[in-house]
Amino acid sequence: MSNTAKADSIPLLLSVALLSWLVPGGGHFLLGERKRSAIIFITIVATFCIGLLVGSIAVVDPVSAKPWYFAQILTSPFVAVLGHLTTAQSRVVYGWPNEIGQIYTSTAGLLNLLCIVNASYLAYVGTSEKTGD
Amino acid sequence: MSITLICITVCSIFRHTATIALATFAVPENITTNASMTLWVLPLTCSIAVIYKTLKLPEIKLVVFVKETAMLFGSIIVFLAVSALVVLVAAYLFV
Repeated sequence: MSNTAKADSIPLLLSVALLSWLVPGGGHFLLGERKRSAIIFITIVATFCIGLLVGSIAVVDPVSAKPWYFAQILTSPFVAVLGHLTTAQSRVVYGWPNEIGQIYTSTAGLLNLLCIVNASYLAYVGTSEKTGD
Repeated sequence: MSITLICITVCSIFRHTATIALATFAVPENITTNASMTLWVLPLTCSIAVIYKTLKLPEIKLVVFVKETAMLFGSIIVFLAVSALVVLVAAYLFV
């Protein structure tokens, strides 16, 4: 790929990656992969919601569970709102609900990271094909 | 008059539904340590299998997608069960 083509693809790659992070499946939607984006959105949101249902919104804890929080926020930046709510209302959860809730919500985030990388790769490959490289 | 009444009723229903929905996410479930809690692995495994196959398959066709996902889901569950059995046997023999 030439330098010009690379420079042209960077805004697309960034927008695809950003949209994938903002809304799970958004990047694939932007690339015209409607079925994939719908499946990704439903699965990741459902996984995250099961985690919240089991452990309540207190599983999103940016203060005392930082490593989990970094994985959880990969689902969407809107998770930060839940983190803010948990901190502001001093919500806590212990035991198995906390463990299971954190595992579900963090896995949702990590799965979305996989989707972000895949969408960016598809955008890159698509751009390469268009430019003939 | 009747439109206002309908609007008030709809808003009231929406408010109550939203309150109940939010309340379910504000209180954690009661999960105790027993054998049935291992079933929590099933929905998570299902999610992982679905996302993996969604990204891996070149084209999403319902029958192929469901078949591939079910196979991956089954493989993961069998592997987990075998791992658990090995750990159980090791614990029985050596602990």
